[in-house]
Amino acid sequence: MLIREVMHPEPITVSPTTKLNEAYNIMEKEGIRHLPVMGNNKLVGIVTDRDLRLATSKLTKHPCEVETEIKEIMSHPVQTTNPSDPIEIATRTMRELKIGCLPVVEDIKLVGIVTGMDLLDALLMLTGVYLPSGRLDVRLLNKSGELARLTALLAERKINIHSILTYPDKEGKIRLVLRVGTIEMKMLAKIICNAGFEVVWPINIACVK
Amino acid sequence: MCKIIYHPKYKLYDLGEGHPFDPIRVEMMLDLLKELNYPVELETPDAVSPEILYSIHDELYVKTVEALSQGENYSEVEKYGLGTIDNPVAPGMAEGARYQTGGTLLAAKLLIEEKTKKVLQLGGGFHHAHKNLAAGFCIYNDLALAIKQMTDHGWHVAYIDIDVHHCDGVQEIFYSDGKVMTISLHESGEFLFPGTGWIHELGKGMGRSLKLNVPLDPFTEGDSYIEVMNGIIEPALKWFHPDVLVVMAGADAHYSDPLADLMLTTIDYENVFRKILNFADLYSNGKVIFTLGGGYSITATPRIWTILYLLLRNLEIPEKIPESWRHKWGKLVNNKFPEFMHDQLPAYEPIPRKPEIEKHNRDLIRRINDSVVQYWI
Repeated sequence: MLIREVMHPEPITVSPTTKLNEAYNIMEKEGIRHLPVMGNNKLVGIVTDRDLRLATSKLTKHPCEVETEIKEIMSHPVQTTNPSDPIEIATRTMRELKIGCLPVVEDIKLVGIVTGMDLLDALLMLTGVYLPSGRLDVRLLNKSGELARLTALLAERKINIHSILTYPDKEGKIRLVLRVGTIEMKMLAKIICNAGFEVVWPINIACVK
Repeated sequence: MCKIIYHPKYKLYDLGEGHPFDPIRVEMMLDLLKELNYPVELETPDAVSPEILYSIHDELYVKTVEALSQGENYSEVEKYGLGTIDNPVAPGMAEGARYQTGGTLLAAKLLIEEKTKKVLQLGGGFHHAHKNLAAGFCIYNDLALAIKQMTDHGWHVAYIDIDVHHCDGVQEIFYSDGKVMTISLHESGEFLFPGTGWIHELGKGMGRSLKLNVPLDPFTEGDSYIEVMNGIIEPALKWFHPDVLVVMAGADAHYSDPLADLMLTTIDYENVFRKILNFADLYSNGKVIFTLGGGYSITATPRIWTILYLLLRNLEIPEKIPESWRHKWGKLVNNKFPEFMHDQLPAYEPIPRKPEIEKHNRDLIRRINDSVVQYWI
């Protein structure tokens, strides 16, 4: 999944001379939390609702006036991503720097913005249930051909696979969660168990000849 | 007096040899009532026409189902969820489904015309049928059609689904409808088909806070189940004040069900049915429709539905199952059909995680109530 598939194109921006209260009003009106700052058609900074609130808070030593210009408080240089970056790279950048968004830049041009919420949407897209389906949880040996052997069993029975998730487990095996188009999971689990796979869910499946 | 609806043509809805949704379950039940010498007076419904179904399903979907059922070939049936392992194309399935849908619709009409306050429809309950998708053994959503008939009459309908699977089709069709409350108790979608039915699914727009879902932990037992009914269904009905209850009485939350993992016994089922009847008396002026639904344990399902029938007709539940009947049907289950109407306790080994499961389900009651309290004013 690429950034261009999850980003918001044409983000709302402000200029370095926009006043703090104006920026705040834009965020309120649009229901957003991040504003890229553009100077001479280039991305020169970024400001978040938190920056605005902290800058003007009585809790800080030298609170700014609400008519201060954005350039006084904006963050720069700005961390960015590219539309053809995979989302996991952008996620890693955001996680490591503990930041909530990345402007998307291509050829020096701002083309979009991606936020933590967009990445949550992506996570839902990857893990979500979009068609009625049963859940099969299997621990696979970490070697080639195992997944193919398993999916062949499903294909033989004309059972459609709606989603596949995998992650490494602690024992060095591969945990595989399939969402498949059938309600009869226990019957399916038995077949899979009989073929020598370790079924985690449905549980208590005994292999039967 | 509770009216009973059935038509022999319900049996046309037969998805083939070895398919769990087997018409034999109702046949066994009717035969058991006969052996018990309880007279069964049946109201026979007409099949609905395909056109009637357009108020719930897409026209193209209905036409495809009808054509397939008559043996015509289509290449792209899988996008409609048909020709799959759960919903194979079976001759006569559309007609059978339309008869069963007619039965549920007749139940609604009998109530609207004040012919009775209680109806048991010995079929229907196709809660996984979507607007244009067959799923989970269901093709036409009889429940939705009957509910719509009643809301068109001006009624508020509370739909209670005790089938072990989430009622995704019914919920989706009425998700924004302010006249229909849906309450589904099911095994959590984390583990069981169809994967939906989470507590955050509360409805949209006018339907907000009217769709309630209780995703129970696997191995939930009867006591915890009843606690959830008291903690969620009762306050919901008290607040919503429905004109009628529609109950999808799937029997697959039974501990012996081969498709799911809840642990209700027949005794728990009797308690659940009594409680629902009590809710009907308290909150819907006694008006209630029961349909059948899932329930794939051949030894449990006919007993559970017979118990439901007897409760609705104020008849005594006999202790023993007649020998002649056991003999006749025993061959299906290696002559291991239980001797008694009720499961003998303890019916299964103690559940090791019982306290955790109860705690989890209690948490659900609290969380669901916390999420609707702002709407229920």
